[in-house]
Amino acid sequence: MLSKYFKLYTAFFRASLTADLEYRANFATRIITDIFWYLAQIIAFEVLYRHTEKIGSWNVEQTRVFLGVLFVVDALYMIFISENLDRFSEKIRKGELDLLLAKPVNSQFMVSLQRANTAIIGNLLMGTSWLVWSLVHLPDFSWVRLLWLSFLIPCGLVVTYSCRFFFSAMAVIFTKSENLQFMWYQIYKLGMRPDSIYVPWIRIVLMTVFPVAMVASVPARSLVEEPQPALFVWSLVVSGILLYLSNRFWRLCLKFYSSASS
Amino acid sequence: MAIAANVEYRVNYFIDAVAQPTVTAVIEILLWVGIFRTAGHATIGGFGLQDYLAYVLWGAFFARIAASWMYEFRMIEEIDSGSVNGLLVRPMSFYEYYLSQLLGYKFITTAVSFLIPLGVGAALGWNIHYDRLPTAVLLVFFYLILVHSISFVVATCAFFLNRIYALTVAKNLALWTLTGELIPLDLMPEPFRGWLLILPFPSGVFVPVGYLTGRVGLETVNQGFLSVAVSLILVNALGLVMWKRGLRSYSGTGA
Repeated sequence: MLSKYFKLYTAFFRASLTADLEYRANFATRIITDIFWYLAQIIAFEVLYRHTEKIGSWNVEQTRVFLGVLFVVDALYMIFISENLDRFSEKIRKGELDLLLAKPVNSQFMVSLQRANTAIIGNLLMGTSWLVWSLVHLPDFSWVRLLWLSFLIPCGLVVTYSCRFFFSAMAVIFTKSENLQFMWYQIYKLGMRPDSIYVPWIRIVLMTVFPVAMVASVPARSLVEEPQPALFVWSLVVSGILLYLSNRFWRLCLKFYSSASS
Repeated sequence: MAIAANVEYRVNYFIDAVAQPTVTAVIEILLWVGIFRTAGHATIGGFGLQDYLAYVLWGAFFARIAASWMYEFRMIEEIDSGSVNGLLVRPMSFYEYYLSQLLGYKFITTAVSFLIPLGVGAALGWNIHYDRLPTAVLLVFFYLILVHSISFVVATCAFFLNRIYALTVAKNLALWTLTGELIPLDLMPEPFRGWLLILPFPSGVFVPVGYLTGRVGLETVNQGFLSVAVSLILVNALGLVMWKRGLRSYSGTGA
């Protein structure tokens, strides 16, 4: 079963790479686009740290590590998932969802992973380079701590995917929902700041209801602070629950679906 | 027509006009409260917490007015798919058609969404110069025409290149920083601060919001009008050339 999906995904990835290489200008522009995004994030924090020593409980070196983790998780999300969910609303309006539902594979798998954005691989390299650079400049950093990332980054990715999927799937109910998708980005923005800047009750919300703190803050904590095993276990539990709930929600949404194709 | 078309999708309209800028403002307010809570200073860059809260609240709403994602995507889609043919035979140019759509939509968005910062600002007693609001709104709408002209130039690239949506994203990300939505531009170190203020982009957020909240004076607003006017001439000239060249190479796909 798993090997069937793995082979299918490999085929999707290869087809996406071929398609992306066909549009080379777009390939280059996507990399440049994300450089703007990285720069915006870096500039925002570097400028703020010119006026203050600490934001939340972290200094500038620690926040740079946080940004590195954020860039890596975001790049992974962009490579594997973003392209599929960004145009989901359009697929429904044009009736393309019918074709996906008719395939003899899990429909959530099809709508979520059919297309990979291989142009972002360059961004992943840039994000990783920034993370390594920031870790090198982090005083007293133990490189063994990187092992925590082996499951915290996948957890962050699953949380990002699941939350985003909830918003995308709503397009099945509301049909025209571009702005609802922008709402997701607003919530995601909460995860783009170190969670330590928020007051305690908001941090609880960001660990439970909208667990975007799992995206970068929790993995970054494993690198810049003493390990907190309870927090890491919670990260694993939350990502599992969200993945399950996303599937239940998808089934519910499909009950509202009325084909848009002729 | 634009008003009727957009209000038809009420959930979408509500999210764009009210929910989205409110959420953005709340997030930015949380950030600044967090920064001041841990920084241990009463002021940052010469301004206190209330000044930053007023800035981010108004900034979020001005930024919504000064952005044009939706119509830029639609313009690209029209050219990319060939459905622009239907607009070419109308007694109104492609540029004018979408400008009227954009302005119509932004007028109704502004009318509704500005009630929130007005209400919150009045309730919390923030130091806002309400007599400056008309000038600030006028500047942001003038800047919006420039944003539309830039969108038009980006859209004309669809005549020559396929799949240029990434250009829209790149442009909007750059504007996010350059307008001052991301961070007040007066926090930037010199000489970047000076360079940025010469550009027309701060007229989207930093200058109008700074004028409202007392961070900048009338001379900066006047400089904003001038900078946007000069940019409009240049960008529209570029747009005209690209549109004409694009039409010459256009084969009417989708006709």
